[in-house]
Order: sequence, then structure tokens, then C-alpha cells
Amino acid sequence: MTNLVYLVPLFPLIGFLINGLGWRKIPKAAGGIIGSVAILASFAVSLGIFFEVKSTGASTVVHLFDFIQSGTLYIPFSFQVDALSSLFLLIITGIGFLIHVYSTSYMHEDEGMVKYFAYLNLFVFSMLLLVLGANYLIMFIGWEGVGLCSYLLIGFWFKNRDYTNAAKKAFVMNRIGDLGFLVGMLLILFNYGTLSYQEFFGQLNGGQVQLSANMYNWIAICLFIGAMGKSAQIPLYTWLPDAMAGPTPVSALIHAATMVTAGIYMIARSSALYNLAPAALNLVAIIGLATAILAASIAIRQYDIKKVLAYSTVSQLGFMFLALGVGAYTTAVFHVMTHAFFKALLFLGSGSVIHAMGGEQDIRKMGGLNKHMKITGITFLIGCLAISGIPGFSGFFSKDEILASVYAHSPVMYYMALGAALMTAFYMFRLYFLTFTGSFRGTEEQHHHLHESPAAITIPLIVLAILSVVGGYVGLPPVISEHHTLNTYLGSVLSNFNVHHLEHSTEWILMGLSTGLVIAMIIVARVATKNPKFAENTGLAKVLENKWYVDELYDAVIVRPLGVLADVLDRFAEKMGVDGVVNGTGRLVRWSSDRVRLLQTGQVGFYIFVMVIGIAVIFALRFFGLNY
Amino acid sequence: MPVQYYLFLSLALFCIGMMGAMMRRNAIIVFMCIELMLNAVNLLMVAFSKMYNDAAAQIFVFFIMVVAAAEVAVGLAIIVMMYRKVHSVDINILNRLKH
Amino acid sequence: MKAIIAATVLGVILMFAGLFVKEKKSVASLAVFLLFVLLGVNIWDLVTTAPNETLSFFNNMLRVDRYALWFNTLMTGCTLLYALLVSKEIQRVGSHVAEYFALICFILCGVYMLSTYNNVLILFIGIEILSIPQYILAGSDKRNLKSSEASLKYFLMGAFSTGILLMGITLLYGATGTFNIIQYTFLQSDMLSPMALAGILFLMVAFAFKVSAAPMHMWTPDVYDGAPTPFTAFMATIVKASAFVAFMRLFSVSFGAISSDWMMVLAIITAATLFVGNITAVFQQSVKRMLAYSSIAQAGFMLFAVLAVNATAWQGMMIYAVAYSVATIGMFAVLMKMKDYTYDGFNGLAKKDPMLAAFTTVFLLSLAGIPLTGGFMAKYFVLLAAVEQGKMMWLVIFALFMAAVSAYYYFRVIMAMYFKQGNAELNTEVSATDRFLLAITVLLVIVLGAAPNLILNI
Repeated sequence: MTNLVYLVPLFPLIGFLINGLGWRKIPKAAGGIIGSVAILASFAVSLGIFFEVKSTGASTVVHLFDFIQSGTLYIPFSFQVDALSSLFLLIITGIGFLIHVYSTSYMHEDEGMVKYFAYLNLFVFSMLLLVLGANYLIMFIGWEGVGLCSYLLIGFWFKNRDYTNAAKKAFVMNRIGDLGFLVGMLLILFNYGTLSYQEFFGQLNGGQVQLSANMYNWIAICLFIGAMGKSAQIPLYTWLPDAMAGPTPVSALIHAATMVTAGIYMIARSSALYNLAPAALNLVAIIGLATAILAASIAIRQYDIKKVLAYSTVSQLGFMFLALGVGAYTTAVFHVMTHAFFKALLFLGSGSVIHAMGGEQDIRKMGGLNKHMKITGITFLIGCLAISGIPGFSGFFSKDEILASVYAHSPVMYYMALGAALMTAFYMFRLYFLTFTGSFRGTEEQHHHLHESPAAITIPLIVLAILSVVGGYVGLPPVISEHHTLNTYLGSVLSNFNVHHLEHSTEWILMGLSTGLVIAMIIVARVATKNPKFAENTGLAKVLENKWYVDELYDAVIVRPLGVLADVLDRFAEKMGVDGVVNGTGRLVRWSSDRVRLLQTGQVGFYIFVMVIGIAVIFALRFFGLNY
Repeated sequence: MPVQYYLFLSLALFCIGMMGAMMRRNAIIVFMCIELMLNAVNLLMVAFSKMYNDAAAQIFVFFIMVVAAAEVAVGLAIIVMMYRKVHSVDINILNRLKH
Repeated sequence: MKAIIAATVLGVILMFAGLFVKEKKSVASLAVFLLFVLLGVNIWDLVTTAPNETLSFFNNMLRVDRYALWFNTLMTGCTLLYALLVSKEIQRVGSHVAEYFALICFILCGVYMLSTYNNVLILFIGIEILSIPQYILAGSDKRNLKSSEASLKYFLMGAFSTGILLMGITLLYGATGTFNIIQYTFLQSDMLSPMALAGILFLMVAFAFKVSAAPMHMWTPDVYDGAPTPFTAFMATIVKASAFVAFMRLFSVSFGAISSDWMMVLAIITAATLFVGNITAVFQQSVKRMLAYSSIAQAGFMLFAVLAVNATAWQGMMIYAVAYSVATIGMFAVLMKMKDYTYDGFNGLAKKDPMLAAFTTVFLLSLAGIPLTGGFMAKYFVLLAAVEQGKMMWLVIFALFMAAVSAYYYFRVIMAMYFKQGNAELNTEVSATDRFLLAITVLLVIVLGAAPNLILNI
């Protein structure tokens, strides 16, 4: 089965070629079927590979052909099949397939549907290449391919100027990250003469090439900068919320199964390097934590259903990086997996809502949808419970594992991370309550139009909801079971570094604490959203006045400070700080372009003058000591 | 005479040519200044040739002359073509292409 | 060697053909046929030379090795592709079609000399044979004042740089007593006289002019913008690549051992070139002028190969020359089909002619250096050479940053084609032959990106 691994990326590529070349001719329905079947086929192969790897635990490099061969440099085009990559294969193709099925219904009114499926297949293909590559160069090709596809998909509805700008932003920010990746790659090549994982990690562990600790840190940090761009971490995260411009299933694909997890995968893959680079690891943890808190606090004040989810993704990615940063690599991968389930569920659910609302995304205009969309409502609730970390749901296990590892690393970080987790529970349930409970706040016409979505949409939701519940049982905490299925599975390629196990009593206390606080947060969210302030509820009955009082209290004590904080962070940290720096660079380039351009006066005399000055400067530089 | 004298003379001529090419506005005079630079080079070549007792540099000088002649042929044709259009050989009015 | 003679003879044949054959189309077909013959002669040269053999001609003034022959063959191939793609546009420039093609043949003769010279006399003659026809080609559109202006500017500045080149040669001769580039190698760092150093710097400046490196780049945008577009395509690609190979030949064969004496200066020139080329390109409104600046920017990358002075650098130069030439020729071929050369002229091309837009996208992606295109491999190799050499890490990082800037102006064209409303007007009908040739060009770009070994392992 392992030898057939080339089939996994081949099917989506074929799907892309068919749909991409014939998108004018192929009927919509056929395009959707071709796209979905391609992914299903590669899912089937992935499944076979997964079980084979699970039983043998082997880690194989499948050589396809020689890619670059020149002098001492040899880069083959080969795939790495091991526990880590096969797990990612399952996530990508499995969830990818569900999203494809969902899209067949979601996009059926769009005239560019076949083109859309072509892009989607290309996206999956790039992501598979990224995950399967047995050296950094193949990973980089996939890395760039994913960036390109996200550009195409985010700007899919290109008639809207804001959308194309969002697409551009995503692409440019990714490129900034890529720069770091490229430099890191060149540093590895320069120091070790290879880009292949096997050889590189072998040399790292064997210690044939001894570098200074600084060099390890620099390489690791350069790679991490790449991960920052792709996985939307401070300061390169702002593209992700804007990336909501694309069709909703695309958001699900970008956020849940692919793209953003690339950074996590890369660092987990390079764990041997990061183990040697403690400073870089620390940086990863700090950036992850800061991102988790910042994004969660911003999510509290968003009104766009997809924006809330987008910031939530950023925040969850922060958690994963935090886990990586404290050395809990398998835990991060675990969270990638559970997050893939429930975030895909939430996004697809929100897509179903948007579909029913006729394109409306503002939660202030929703409410009470539970009555009209039972399946969407229930599955969405499951997603919210999972992401908030209610015991029994998948998110609980992975998040708890992260929190426990963080506590063992540093209790201060633990409390901060716990704060972010509580905010998560708050904003998710605020979203849920505003959308699905209460009374409908939209127009009459929308109200009339409300309906449950067709089966192609609800079935993926149900499947994902089931996965969101059971997905966590592969990684039971040590207090319940000594046997951690996922860790055992990943054991052959990835093991945690420097993670201390807590005593059982401590762990029970932490678990109880977080569960209790999360439930409290949900209640807070419930109360806070009972009578949404933005609704025109001026004509409130006297009976409600006491509740008003509670609302005010909560508002003053929790919501407003958090809201103010969110506003402040939104306005200053994000708009002025991060956006300012990023946009400022762009403006600086344009500004200097406008100035430098004027040097080209069109006068030959001036040109010769510049040359003569150039010659004089060159001579002066060289003769007055500029030398190697 | 020591070869340095030739060196300095031809460097001086070269610089005069360079300055002229930079500052004059008449295309023909600019071109003559460039020819002056080439002739400075020729002078220096011959001086070095004498110094090394090696004829190669003198052959080189012939090549420079021939190529310069070819360049004159093309260059004057271009200047004439320009003159026919704008009735001037002032290079400063040539600034349609800029920025 | 045979190729130099063949190029000259074929050029002369074409000039005479111009006297007798009045039909433009038949002249163009004859020219294409003769270029095929020239390619054949090059391949003949290539296959009759053993891989490690080095031949000397003309009293050791030419030194022919496998690398040079392969380079010549590839450049002739690119010229052929170019001639096939734009022969229609060349016919539209003016009435003397035969002469244009003859001049292109003469330029090719200069290209062959520049890749095989072993004596600076040949270098000088080669550069002149390369340049003088270009002055004429730049001014060949006689009805257009811009074309004449470009020609005069190019001529004056080119002649000026010839003076600089000759001064460098003379000073080096004064220091070493020889014109043979292999004999220059006895120059040593600790006993380098100021005269020799000045000679090297003058030569560097002259080459910087030919490859349009800052601050000697000022002629490039105006000349490329003003010259008739088909000839701009030729000047910006094959001519530039061969100037680079000449640059590299001299600076690694002769001055490679004393690279520490000139490297820093060249590194600063490289940084300035990257900066000026990329930054200025951002603000341009015309795609043609943007491509002129982009050629300066690409020259900045090629300078890395000159800087690195190692085996990878030679490979990098080869692949860069080919990848850049192919993509740029393709881009210009598309540009020539457009009525309006500004960015707005490309608005909505994807809707009007999706195939053409897709081709253009591939060319632009290659120029921007996106993986799986030849441009990526080219950038990869030249930067790899610089990293292997190890002294220029700051410059590599700067170059990567500038590559990110370059994505901006290349993607602007893609944006215009795909994401903007408009009615991109075509100048001429894009015939099935054009499409076929463009498809081959696209294929070449992709093959270069997927299997660079095809042209490296020769």
C-alpha cells in the first residue's frame, strides 16, 4: 500500500486538470462529482496507508524521481510515509471530501462552480504535497501552492474589490512568512548539505555536524517565521480574518483541514531541530500564547458570524503553538485533529446558516434559528461544546492535555492560557445563543425564507458532529487511562520533549477548575445574550428591569471591560500596530518607487553624469578600504 | 620619457572627454568627446606597447580605430535621422522617454 | 567556431536576399529557415566536441569548451523560438525586414564570440558586434520619434561605455603586459597594483553597463521602452544573457582568484540594481516599461552568479539565462498582441481570451519566481551559489525581500487580467500557430521548473 502513495496526490491533480481545462464545457453537477470523487479516491488510499502504518509503525521514504541533481546537491522527489504524515493525510482527504460534498450543494448556484472545484482540488493537491514531501523543498512547493490556491479561492468572487484585496493580503502576508522559511531552508542546506528529513535529522541526532546553539536557534526561528505566516500567528495573522471573503466551504477548508495547520505540521516534523533550540521553542510558546489571548479577546466583539469563527481559529492555532512551544508535539497534533473536526463543523454550520439567511452574515440580524434548522442547530451546538472544552467532547481532551502540559511547564502561562480558553467558551456561546436561540431579528422576507439545508449539507454536518464527539477518545488523559492511543501511534516519529507529567490529584483539580469555569462562562454568555443590547428592545416591560440590572452588571464587570479591551486591541494593537507596520511597508515601497522613478529624467547628459558619479563612488569605495 | 607621463596625459585626455560627454548638449560634440576618450586609450596603448616591446597593443589600436570608424558610420546616421525629425542635434530636447 | 562563421555568412546572405526578395513574408520564412540552419551548425559543433575537450582557435584567441557550446546552442534555440513567435511583428516594424534579421544574425555572431573569447581583443570586438546592430535595431521604426530617441540615447551611452571598457583593458595591459585572459590569473591579491585594480574596476563598470546594473542602468528603461517591441524582446533576453556570460567568464576565469578585491563593490552594485529595478517597476503604468525595469531587477539576480565564483554559479547562470529568456520572450510575444501596453490594456483579458491569459500568467509566475516554473529554479540556483560561497548572506536576504516586492508588479498584470472588468483589445488576431508556439513556450517554462537537470547535465 505504501508504494501506492503517489496516488494520493495524483487523484486531486487529475481532478484539477479535468475541471481546470474544461471548466467552460463541463456541466456543474459533473464538475462537483469529479472533484468529490477525486478526493474520495485519495481518501481511500490514505485509509489503506494509515492502517498499514498503524500496524507496522514503519517510516518509509518512497522515491519517485530525481528532482535536482547538481554537484553535491541532490534533491529527489520523494514522499515520506510515516505515522505523522499518514495522520495528516487522513485529516486532509477525509475532511476535504466532506467539504467537497458540502460544496456541491453550497455552490450550485454559482456560475463558476466547475472552476471552483478545480481550485479546490488543486488546493488539496498542494496540501498533500506539503505533507507528503520527504524533504523541505517538496514541502516548500506544496507550501507555495497552498498560498497560491488560497489567493485564487479567497478572491473567487473577484467582482468585489474588497475580496480581491483580501486575497492579495493573504498572499502577500504568506509571502512574508515564506521568506523566513526560505532563509531557514538555505541555512539548513548550507550547514548540512541536504534538505531531506531523514539525513538532516540523522545528522542532528548523530551530531556529525556541530553547530553553535545560536545557529540552531536561527534556523528554527526562520522556519517558525514561515509557520507564522501560514498559520496566522502574531504578527502575521491579520490575513486570516480577511480571508473570510471566500466562499464559506473554502474557509472551512483553509481553517480546519489544510493550510493553517501547515505551520504546526512543519514544526512537529522538525521537532528534532526544535529540541536543540530552546530559545526558539520559547519564542514559539510566547507567540502562541499571545496569539491565543489576543484573538480570543477580539472574537468577543465581532458580529460577523464568520469573523468570530476566524478569530477563534487564530486563537486555537495559538493554543497549538503553545503546545509545540512547551515541547508537547503530539498534543499539538492531537489538537490539530480535534480542531479539524469541530472547526470544519462550525464553519460548515455557519455556511448552512448563511445559506438559509440568504447571504446575511450579521448575527445581530439572526436569532431563533433553532426552530427552523434543527440539524444545523444541534450540530452547531455540538461544535460549540467541543471547542469550549466540555468534558466528553473531543475539544476537552486535547485542550486539557495542552493545559496540563503548560501547567507543568509554567503555572503563569497556564493561567493566561486558561483565560483564553474561557474567552473561547464565552464568545462561542455568545455566537450560538445569538444565532440559534431567542427570537428572529432579521427581515420578514428572510424569516419566510428560513429553511433547513439539503442533505448534501446536513450529512457532512452530522458526520463531523459525530467526529467532534468521539474524536477525542483516542487521547484519554492519564488520570483516566494509562493508554494514550494517539501517542502510541505517533510514537515512532514524534515524542514529547521535556514534558513532565502531573500528579493525578493536580490534574483532577485542573480539570475540575477549567470545566467549572467554562460552564460558568457559558452561563455568563447565556445571560449576556438574553436580551441583546443591539436589538431594538426599548419597549421593555417593567418585569424585565431586574434582569436589565443583571445585564448591566455583567456588562459593566465582564462584557464591557472585555469589550473595551477587545476594542482597544482591535483599534490599537491590530489596526495601528500590526496593520500599520504591514501596510506601511507597502506604502513605503510605493512612495519610494514614486521618488526613485523621477531619477529617470530622460536626459542623456544626466544619465552619463550618474554613470560618472557611479564610477567615482565605486573607485572611492574600493580604494578607501571597502574590502573583504 | 618615463611611461608615467603618457599615463597621466592620457588619463587627463580621458577625463576631459568624459566631462565633455557629460556636459555638452550638442550630440555631435558629445560624440567627439567620446572619440577623445577612445584616442586617450589609443595613446596609452601605444605607450604601453613601447614599454613592453610588444606589438600586440599596437594591433589592438588598429582594431579600436576600425571599430570606432564603424561606430561613427552608425552614429552619424542616427544623428542625421534625429536631425531630420526635430531639426536640432540638441540632446536635451530628447526627453520623451522618461520616468 | 563553425557557428561564428555560419552566423556571419548567413547574415550576409540575408542582406543580399533583401535586395532580391521583395515579399516580406518570404524573407521572414527564409530567415527562420536560416536560423534553423544556424541551430543545426551549433548542434554540430556541440556533438563533435567531447565533453571535457577544450579547443583553441586563432592563435589561442578563442577558447571553446562544452559549456560555451551548450550556451550558444541554447541561445540560438531561444532566438529561433523568438523569431518564430514575433516574425509577424518584425515584418510590421518597417520595410527592411531582411536587414533586421541580418542584424539579428550578426548579434548572434557577437554572442558566440562573447561566450568563447580568450583574449580581451575578442571580448572588445564581440561587444561591439553585439552593440552596434542594436543601435540600429532600436532606431528601426523610423516613423516613430521615440524609436529614434532610444537609438540615439543608446548609441551615445553605449559608445561612452566602450571608452570605459577600453580604458580598463589598457590599464590591465599596462599592469600585466598581456591581453590573454588566462594569463591575467597571475595577478595576486597582495601584489595587485593600483593600475590593475583600476583596470578591473573599469571593466566591471563597462560590463555593468552592458548588463544594465545600477548605477549604469539608466539607458535601459528608455531604450527598451522606445525601441520597437520585437527588438526590445531580443535585447532584453538573449543579448543580455550573453553579456552576463561574458562578464562571468572574465571575472571568474581571470579574476576569480582575487575575488575578495572586487566582490564588495560588485555586491553593492547588485544591491543597488535589485533596489532600483524592483522599486521603480512598482510605479510604472506601462507593462512594457515595467518589463524594462523588471529586466534590471532580474539582472540583479543574475549578478549573484557573477559574485559567487563557483561551480553552482555557472549552472545558475545557464539556467537563469534560459529560463529568463524563455519567459520574457513569451511575455513580450503576448504584449505585442495587445493594443494598449498599459496595465489597463490587460483588463478582462481572461474573459476575452482565457488561453492567452493563462499563458501570460505562467510567464509572469516564472518571472516572479514561483515554484514549478523555470524562474524559481533559476533564482534558486543563483542564490544557492551565493549561499554556498557564504560571504553574501545579507545580500541573499535582501534579494529575497526584493523578490517579494517583484511579486507585486507581476501580479498586478494577473489581477488586471482576471479580476478587473474591461475589454482588453487585441492588436492582431492570435492565430492557431501563435497559440501552438506560445503553448510550447509555456511547456518549456514548466519543464525547466520541473526538471532543470535537462539543461544542466550536459
